[in-house]
Amino acid sequence: MQQEVVLAMLAKEPSHGYQLRARLQQALGPLGDAMNAGQIYVTLARLEKAGLVTAEHSAGLPDRPDRKMYVLTAAGQQRVAGWLTEVSWPRPGLAEFHLKLAATAAARLADPIAIVDAQRRELLRRLRDAQRAAMAEPDRSDAGLLLEGIVLRLQADLRWLEACERNWAGRRSPS
Amino acid sequence: MGRILLVRRLATRDLRHRPAQAVLLLLVITAAMATLTLGLILHGVTSKPYGQTRAATAGPDVVASSVGFPSSKETSASAPGRFATLDHAPGVTAHSGPYPVAWPVVRAHGITAEVMAEGRDEAPALVDQPKVIQGTWVRRGGVVMERAFADAVGVHVGDHIALGDQRFRVTGIAVTAAVPVYSQVCFYGGCSGPGGQPRSFDTGLVWLTQAAARGLATPGDPLTYYLNLRLRDPAAAPAFVSEHQPPPGSGPPPVTAWQSLRDAAATLVAQEQHVLVPASWLLGLLAVASVAVVAGGRMTEQEKRVGLLKAAGGTPPLAAAVLLAEHLVVALVAAGAGLAAGWLAAPLLTSPGASLVGSPGPPSLTWSTVLLVAAAAVAAAAASTLVPALRAARVSTVAALAGAAHPPRRRAALIKLSAWLPVPLLLGLRLIARRPRRVLLSAASLAVTATTIVAVLIYHATLSQHFARSGPFSGAPDPGNGRVSEVLLVITVVMAILAAANAIFTTWATVLDTRRFWAIARSLGATPQQTIAGLSAAQLLPALAGALIGIPAGTALYTAVQNGGPQGSPPAWSLLAMVLGMLLAVAGLTAIPARIGARRPVAEILQSETA
Amino acid sequence: MSDIGSTCMLRARGLRKEFGRDAALVHAVDEVDLDVAAGETVAVMGPSGCGKSTLLHLLGGLDRASGGTLWLHGRRIDQLGEKALARLRRGAIGFVFQAFHLMDELTAVENVELPALLAGRSPRTARRHALGLLDQAGLADRAKFLPSALSGGQRQRAAIARALANDPLVVLADEPTGNLDSAATLEVLRLFESLHVAGQTLIIVTHDSRIAATADRLISMRDGAFVDETRLTGSTTGQLADLAGLEG
Repeated sequence: MQQEVVLAMLAKEPSHGYQLRARLQQALGPLGDAMNAGQIYVTLARLEKAGLVTAEHSAGLPDRPDRKMYVLTAAGQQRVAGWLTEVSWPRPGLAEFHLKLAATAAARLADPIAIVDAQRRELLRRLRDAQRAAMAEPDRSDAGLLLEGIVLRLQADLRWLEACERNWAGRRSPS
Repeated sequence: MGRILLVRRLATRDLRHRPAQAVLLLLVITAAMATLTLGLILHGVTSKPYGQTRAATAGPDVVASSVGFPSSKETSASAPGRFATLDHAPGVTAHSGPYPVAWPVVRAHGITAEVMAEGRDEAPALVDQPKVIQGTWVRRGGVVMERAFADAVGVHVGDHIALGDQRFRVTGIAVTAAVPVYSQVCFYGGCSGPGGQPRSFDTGLVWLTQAAARGLATPGDPLTYYLNLRLRDPAAAPAFVSEHQPPPGSGPPPVTAWQSLRDAAATLVAQEQHVLVPASWLLGLLAVASVAVVAGGRMTEQEKRVGLLKAAGGTPPLAAAVLLAEHLVVALVAAGAGLAAGWLAAPLLTSPGASLVGSPGPPSLTWSTVLLVAAAAVAAAAASTLVPALRAARVSTVAALAGAAHPPRRRAALIKLSAWLPVPLLLGLRLIARRPRRVLLSAASLAVTATTIVAVLIYHATLSQHFARSGPFSGAPDPGNGRVSEVLLVITVVMAILAAANAIFTTWATVLDTRRFWAIARSLGATPQQTIAGLSAAQLLPALAGALIGIPAGTALYTAVQNGGPQGSPPAWSLLAMVLGMLLAVAGLTAIPARIGARRPVAEILQSETA
Repeated sequence: MSDIGSTCMLRARGLRKEFGRDAALVHAVDEVDLDVAAGETVAVMGPSGCGKSTLLHLLGGLDRASGGTLWLHGRRIDQLGEKALARLRRGAIGFVFQAFHLMDELTAVENVELPALLAGRSPRTARRHALGLLDQAGLADRAKFLPSALSGGQRQRAAIARALANDPLVVLADEPTGNLDSAATLEVLRLFESLHVAGQTLIIVTHDSRIAATADRLISMRDGAFVDETRLTGSTTGQLADLAGLEG
C-alpha cells in the first residue's frame, strides 16, 4: 500500500488503524477485498519509523496496531503536500490515483478536479512527445510500432482521466 | 395465403403513409382513363336524335336540289325539267316541292352570314314539314329560322333580321331532317354560289313564304330549287340516289339519300372523337411518366424496405410484389374513376346540337370498353413501376439497408464540361448527371405537354388560314369547331395542370435527394442564390428540350391525326410564346421547393447525412 | 489594439447559441470568448454534447449565432447575410468534417478543385492547384480515384486538401479523426503538422487526445462554455522508456 495514500488519509484527523482500513476498503470497493488485511499495518509501522506519523496509545484499549491512534507529524504533512502536486504516473496501478482523489476530497486537501487536470496535462505532454517521436519514424518501423503502443495506452488513460473529471465535477456541491 | 396478406398489409400501410403521391398518381391515371373512355364510347350516338327528328318532321327519304344546273333567270313557278322526272320516278310514293331557294345574306346582331332561304307554303307539306319549336310557321313578312342557326346568331322569336335588303320579323324557330344540320348545310354540295363557287361552311337555313323567297333572288344570285321525295322502301334510298345521279364531272350531286343526312349529323361528334383518342394517348404517356417519376423518386426508401424485407426473410419476388401491388391498386381505382367520369361527361359531348330534337340517351358502357380501360390503366402502372421494382429487388440486402444501393451516376464528360460553365449551370449540369433517368422523364412529360399545345395551335392556325371567312362576311360561329375547340381547351388545361404537378413533384424529389449535395456545395461557398439557380437550371434544361421536341412532335401528331387535308402553320411568335411560357412556368414552379430546400441550415443537414 | 489585431486571425466575444424555448431552452454555446492568433493550432476538447461542434459551425458561418460578436482577420462577420457568408466560406474559411462529405461521384481531384470552381477560377488553374494540394497531402497517385476507392485516411486527407483549395485564412476541423482508425489518424496528424509548420491557422474540435496533444493551445469545453485552457509547454517528468515498461 502506497505510503502517501495512508498519510493523506490521516491528514483530515487522527484515526485508529481499523478506521483507516475501513475507509480504504470503502474507497476500493470489491477490489479492496483482495487487499491483504495486514498490509496497512506494515505501512503504518514503516511510516512511524520514518517519523511521518506518531502512534498513540488510547487509554483503556489493548496495545495492538489496530487500536493505536495514528497522527500525522509536521514532516508527514509536508510529504502529503508534495505528493499532491506530483504528476508521475504509476505504470500498472490506477488504484493509487483513484485513492488520491478520494482521500483528497475527503480531507478537503485540494480540489480533486485540479489534481485530475494537472495529471491530464502531464499525460498530454507525454502523448505529445510520444506522438512526435512516432511521426519522426518512417512508416512501419518497429520503433514506430512500440511508440504506437505507448500512444494508445496514454490515450486510454486520458479517457479515464476525463471520466474521473466528469465524476468529480458532478460531486461538487453547487456553489 | 400469408404471403398475400403480408403484401396487402405492407402495400396499404405504404399508401397511407404517402397520401399525396398516391393522390397524384390517382389523378393522373384517372384523367388519362376518362379521356380514353370518352374516346371509346362516343361512337354512334347521334342516330337516335336524327331518327326522332325524321319522325317528328315527316322527313324525306331523298332530297334533290337544282344546284349545278344552268342558272335560270326565271322566277316562275315551273320547275326545271329534271325534277319533273324525279317526282314521278318508280319507287316514289309522295313528294313536296320543288321549293324555290334564294341565297341572301343575313344581317343580325352584328353578324353577317350567307343563308339558304327556302320558300314554303303556309299549309303543312306532306313530306318534310319542319317542326316548329317556338313561335309559328311562315307567314307574310315573317321568317322561321333553323334552331341551331338561330342559336349561333343569337336570334329569338320576335327579333328583326335583314335578309338581303329586306327586313323580316322572326316568327318561329324550327328543326328539319331534310337539310344537313347547321354548319354542315353545304356538306353534300347542296349550296352553290354565283358562278359555281362553293358557299361558306356556315351557311344557315331559314324558311319564308314562296313569294318572299322569289323576291330575294338577284341576277347575281338566282333561285335554285329543292325537292323532297318519299320512297316506298326508305332503305332503298342509296340505290335510288345512285340510279338518278348525274354523270360524273357535271357538278355536285343534286340527289341525296336520308342516310347521308343522318351521317352528317354525326360528324360533329366524330370530330370530337377524332380528337379524344389521340388525346387519351398523350395523357396516357403523361401518366406513365408521372408514375415513373414517383416510383423512381421513392426508390431509396423502397430499397431500404426491400432490404428489411429480405433481411427478415422475404424473397425478392415478395419485395417486388409489394411495390407493384401498391401502384396496381391505385391504377385500378383510377380506371374505375376514369370510367365513371367519362360516362358522366359523355352527354356534354354527344348532344347533337340544336339542329335535332331528341337526345342521344346515356352512352352504353360495354364490357369491352371496361376491360380495355382497366387493361390500359394496369399497363401504365406496371410499365412504370416494373423497372424500379425489379431493380430494387435485385439489389443486395446490405447495400439496400445502407441506402447506398444506387449511388449517383458518374458522367465524366458532363462533369468535365460543367467545369467551364458559370456556377449555376455547373451545379445544375452536375445535378442532371447524377440522375439522368429522372431528367429524361421530366423532359418527356413536358414534351408531351408541348406536343399537345403545338397540335392545338396548328388546329387553330388551320382554321384561320384555310377555313376562314373571306370577303365581307363575318360569319356566325361554327358549333362543330366550337365544340372541338372546347374539348381541346379542356384537354390542354388538364394536361398543363398535371404537367405542373409533375414538375413540382420532380423538383421536390430532387431537392430531397440532393440535400447532401447542396449542403456540401454551400459549405464550400455556393450562395443560396446559386443553389436555387442550379436547381432551376437542372429543371429548365430538360424543360427546354421537351418544349423544343414538342414542336416537330406536335406537327407530326396533327398530320397523323388529320390524315391529309390542309394544315396551317402557327405563327412563329405563338411557338416562341409557348416555349418561353413553359420555361417560365417551370422556373416558377421549381423555385418554390428550391427555396424551401435552400433555407435549411447547412450544419443540420450535414449532421444528419452520414455517408 | 492594432498590433493585437494584425496577428489575431479569429476573435469571438460572448458568442452564444440557444435552441428551443422557455423550459426547453438549451444553451449549446454559452458566452464563449476566443482569440486565435495567425498560425496557431487550437484544439477544443470536451465530452459529446458539450457544444464544441456547434461552436465550430458558428465560427465557420454554417450556423447563425444567437448573440455575441465574431471577427475574422479584423472584419466583423457575425452580422453578414447568407450570400456574404457563402463568399466567406469560399475564400477565407476551409471546413473539414468528421464524415468527410466528399461528393461520391467526383474523383479526388474533382472534389478538391470544386471550391476553386465555385469561386470562379478557371478550370485549368483550379485543376493545377488541386493536383498540387493532393501532392502535398501525399495523394498524388490517387488523384483520379473515386472516394469509394480510397481508404478512410485517404478520404480525409483529400477533404483537407479540398479545404485548402482557396487558400483559406483559417481551417476549421470538426472531429477530423472521429471515423478513422489509429493508422489513418497518424496520416492525418502528419498532414496537420505539415500545415502547422507552413503557418496555417487551425482550429480543431476533437475528443481524440492525440490531436489535442499536438496543438499549441488546448481548450476544454463543458456545457457550452470554456472551462480550461492549457498550453502544453515544458517537458515531461518521466521517460518514454518508463511508459514502455523498460526500467530506467
